[in-house]
Amino acid sequence: MNINKDLIEKYHRNACSTEERDAVEAWLFSNHTDEGLQLPLGESKAAHKADIWKGIEDFLPSEELSTAQEAKTVSIKIPATEKPRLNFWMGAVAATLVIGLSGLGMVQLQKNSAQNEPALVSVNNTSAIKVHHLEVSDYALSVGTNTSAKIDNLTGVVNLAGSILFSPKKDITLSFEGSPKKVTFKKDQTYIILKGKEGTEQIIVSEKNLMDLPPVLQKQIINEFKI
Amino acid sequence: MNSRSKRSLFFLLIALSGLFGCREKSLISGEEGQHKYSIYILGKDGKEYLLETNQLDSGRLTPDRDGAELNTREMDRSVMVKNGYYYYLNRKKTSLIKYAIKEHQLQEIQSMPLAQFSIENYQWLGGDTLLLTGLANPDFKQVRYTMIQTNAMKPIRAGNMEIPVPTGRFDNMSVGFVKRQGAQLLLGYTYHQQIGVSNYTTSDTTYITTLNYPEMTAVKTVKDTRSTYPGGVNTVQTSAFQDAQGDFYFMDCPGIALGNRPELSTAIMRINKNSTVADPHYFFNLSSAIGNHAYGMWSVGADKAIVRAERKDLFKGLGDHYSTPHFEFYLVDVKNNQVLQKLALPLDKGTRRECVLLKDNIAYISVNSSSEGNYIWKYDLKTAALTKGMQLAGNTDFILRIDKLR
Repeated sequence: MNINKDLIEKYHRNACSTEERDAVEAWLFSNHTDEGLQLPLGESKAAHKADIWKGIEDFLPSEELSTAQEAKTVSIKIPATEKPRLNFWMGAVAATLVIGLSGLGMVQLQKNSAQNEPALVSVNNTSAIKVHHLEVSDYALSVGTNTSAKIDNLTGVVNLAGSILFSPKKDITLSFEGSPKKVTFKKDQTYIILKGKEGTEQIIVSEKNLMDLPPVLQKQIINEFKI
Repeated sequence: MNSRSKRSLFFLLIALSGLFGCREKSLISGEEGQHKYSIYILGKDGKEYLLETNQLDSGRLTPDRDGAELNTREMDRSVMVKNGYYYYLNRKKTSLIKYAIKEHQLQEIQSMPLAQFSIENYQWLGGDTLLLTGLANPDFKQVRYTMIQTNAMKPIRAGNMEIPVPTGRFDNMSVGFVKRQGAQLLLGYTYHQQIGVSNYTTSDTTYITTLNYPEMTAVKTVKDTRSTYPGGVNTVQTSAFQDAQGDFYFMDCPGIALGNRPELSTAIMRINKNSTVADPHYFFNLSSAIGNHAYGMWSVGADKAIVRAERKDLFKGLGDHYSTPHFEFYLVDVKNNQVLQKLALPLDKGTRRECVLLKDNIAYISVNSSSEGNYIWKYDLKTAALTKGMQLAGNTDFILRIDKLR
């Protein structure tokens, strides 16, 4: 699907179809080249994204100021003629990041300027049917149905209620809120992480060991994530 | 040719013969298509391999060199192995696919559509007839079957089995065993209740329904509350067998890896020849005999079986149940309800594995040990001697299954 100004405007008005909304979000969270994005010749998607993030910084709380200031030292060249249009895009996307989305309770990304990686990834998937997929530079994440997942990329602390599939692109060490134990996730593997309500056990297994889980849980995961 | 170039040629020949020599010893040899056993490996880097070999007694195989690397998007270890072929239900393609290893690669031979089907149990009914019993996707409430002529990969018949769907607090179910008994089929199963994303519970009852065969209509159902969760998915691990007298033994597995009713006892139960109920006078309580829950049981002949039991003092929960070496193997006498011996093997890892084969009074047992490596051990049933057989080296993390290929 082509991501263009009209579609972004529609997204801002919360008037997108499910398919359109997914396309905009996939575009926003994706780091890969995107054939669907119509940009003038010679412009890079990375530059546009960086500028959008810059716009979002204005919405960030004051404690993020130092990070934001650092970010401003990263200069990105964008043709002057394009700037007014980009500013509109920034506002539109930034606003939708902090308001609730239908089917998807809330998605928040806060930028860490040093690595072009959001400092906080927060997804509240309130859908009972649909899994939400997103990708940042260090990992891909599939957030299961009725799941709230927060990953603080600076501290490596995860707050999870529900089920996620976590696929790191490099070795990543994380800890889970309420536990001092650190868990290392190996690059290019996919992990199934399940965490029920408070007091229940958290389960982390590689997707390769899915068959070691009880068949009742296996079937639920296979069905939910279509693996 | 001067002496220097002769020497060079000599060393080149030595090097080449070494190279080809290694290849000949490995599975990649002229015997492809004739091997007797297959071994399914999960590597340390997540890659998976199938190896074929003529013997398990000695030597060393390295999956990254001697095996066929698998496309893990297309396949996992829940394969059915027979007569040189591998059968696997590809969920995404909704196809049952027949494979063989040719030219060092797993190649698709034939396939047939099989949609909305989650395999719980497979049984070879004689010849090339395969009976798959499963649950209808995506609800896992309705028991279905499909009978297949595997030479041509054609369905013979398919449909629902007349088994009550889960009701009340129960929302899904598991089929544990399927046993052909003349013009009838016995089905062992139980019901579950999902409590949260990482938690569920199981009914305290083992259900056994007698079905008319091949109509799959119900004749009667009996309930047995001595333990719960008969068997397990037998494409992943065996936990039932019929002995030479025709008596059928199955395991009830309420431990956390299957039933999640750990307060109940893991037990071996028996359906006597021509009976349709579990023998009310027979109940081999493994939990009290071993002090732990067990999953997996393999007949080794003469009233004996090997069971694979967990060590609850060594793991914390489901999160480390598969990765911590804590499994032990016991030789049991099923006829006389006796644990004969705990086998002196290193602690094994992997919650569920197809890991025991019997040949000529030798039980071949694959063990994944963190300290001693991945070996197929040989247990001599006559002398009780236990020795190391073939080693799986290189990238091997888990030997996930060993099968008789032909």
